[in-house]
Amino acid sequence: MFCNQCQELVSDYIDGALELGEQLQVERHLADCEACRAVRDDLLQIVHFSRQLPLQTPSGAVWARIRFEVASEQPASVWYRTARRLSTMRSRHFDVSIPQLVASAAALVIVASVTVTLLRRQVPADLTTGGSSLLSMQDRSLLSHRDMVQMEERINELTETVEQRKRTWDPELREAFQRNMIYVDQSLAECRHDLADNPADDVSQELMLGVYREKVRLLASFSEF
Amino acid sequence: MTVTAERSQTVSDTELARAVAAGDSEAFEKLYEQHHRRVYSLCLRMLGGVQQAEDLTQEVFLQVFRKIGSFRGDSAFTTWLHRLTVNQVLMHFRKRGVKLEHTTEEGDFSSVVETPLQSTRRISMVDRIALERAISELPPGYRTVFVLHDVEGYEHEEIATTLGVTVGTSKSQLHKARMRLRELLAK
Repeated sequence: MFCNQCQELVSDYIDGALELGEQLQVERHLADCEACRAVRDDLLQIVHFSRQLPLQTPSGAVWARIRFEVASEQPASVWYRTARRLSTMRSRHFDVSIPQLVASAAALVIVASVTVTLLRRQVPADLTTGGSSLLSMQDRSLLSHRDMVQMEERINELTETVEQRKRTWDPELREAFQRNMIYVDQSLAECRHDLADNPADDVSQELMLGVYREKVRLLASFSEF
Repeated sequence: MTVTAERSQTVSDTELARAVAAGDSEAFEKLYEQHHRRVYSLCLRMLGGVQQAEDLTQEVFLQVFRKIGSFRGDSAFTTWLHRLTVNQVLMHFRKRGVKLEHTTEEGDFSSVVETPLQSTRRISMVDRIALERAISELPPGYRTVFVLHDVEGYEHEEIATTLGVTVGTSKSQLHKARMRLRELLAK
């Protein structure tokens, strides 16, 4: 047997798939040929380690996206009802999908709440008191001040961590993060527009909070890399 | 995993699958938690890219959600899910016109004699990363058969049926994949 013949059979040989006659021929050749023995040993190592490769983990954004899509497919869900309603509202003007609408369903409320929070931080106490009618109205119709402060702090903290870690990421991970952030931010942008007409809608506010929580979850998952 | 543990897992998966079919979203999340790494790893190794693997993992679980009613529990849920995943990857290849049988010409790897000896080089933890990278560099046809056989443990008969090729083609692709990997790892 020549080396090229041995090479053709070596995979079947290590898998134990050769007929006895061929197996003996290969073994005789291997006994005399260091080069072919090296190939056999290399292939054995490749097979051995391939069977022990560890499982890989996708980014947390994958589940967020799946849940999003699933929510839009559940007719009984609040998400779906709201998406349909928003879809009807906007169908004459924009070409957007139901999931996109669902994703954006409450963004305006959150953004408005963040704005309120920032205003409260920036405006002196006496002026805040003086302008309390507007803020009180916002607080009544939007999310609670405490929730929003916590949400804002968490997002800032996570964004800072992610920005620091991003320097060590490989291009693929950076791209995955970028892609998912674009997805969430686009949803939020849609949300701002969609809910402009009805920012005090209870269901929409709840959805908005959900979208924002998804952003927190996304940042949290990437901050671990 | 022991037989008992495996059976327990199977029963648990079956119960979760029924709950998902009945509209239980928490059960769906549990199914995802239990299986997403395996699905993603399979997608990643068959496709070779993180973005595509994440997109396809998403698609697989959406298919699970939509088709869970067709899972009757005759086979293990893991088997059903694995088949669904492989089918999604193959459909992805088909959509992009990737040919699995004729990805490269015959005998395109160097002969044994010309290749430097590798047998004394041990594959360490670092080399596992090299192995993952080398697998991702294989042509799609080689990579598909290699991942199914050497990573996932499929038999050639199963691969042939799944891919719609002969057993001989599956064996030939596997051999070429291993030889190509040897070359890639020697670089």
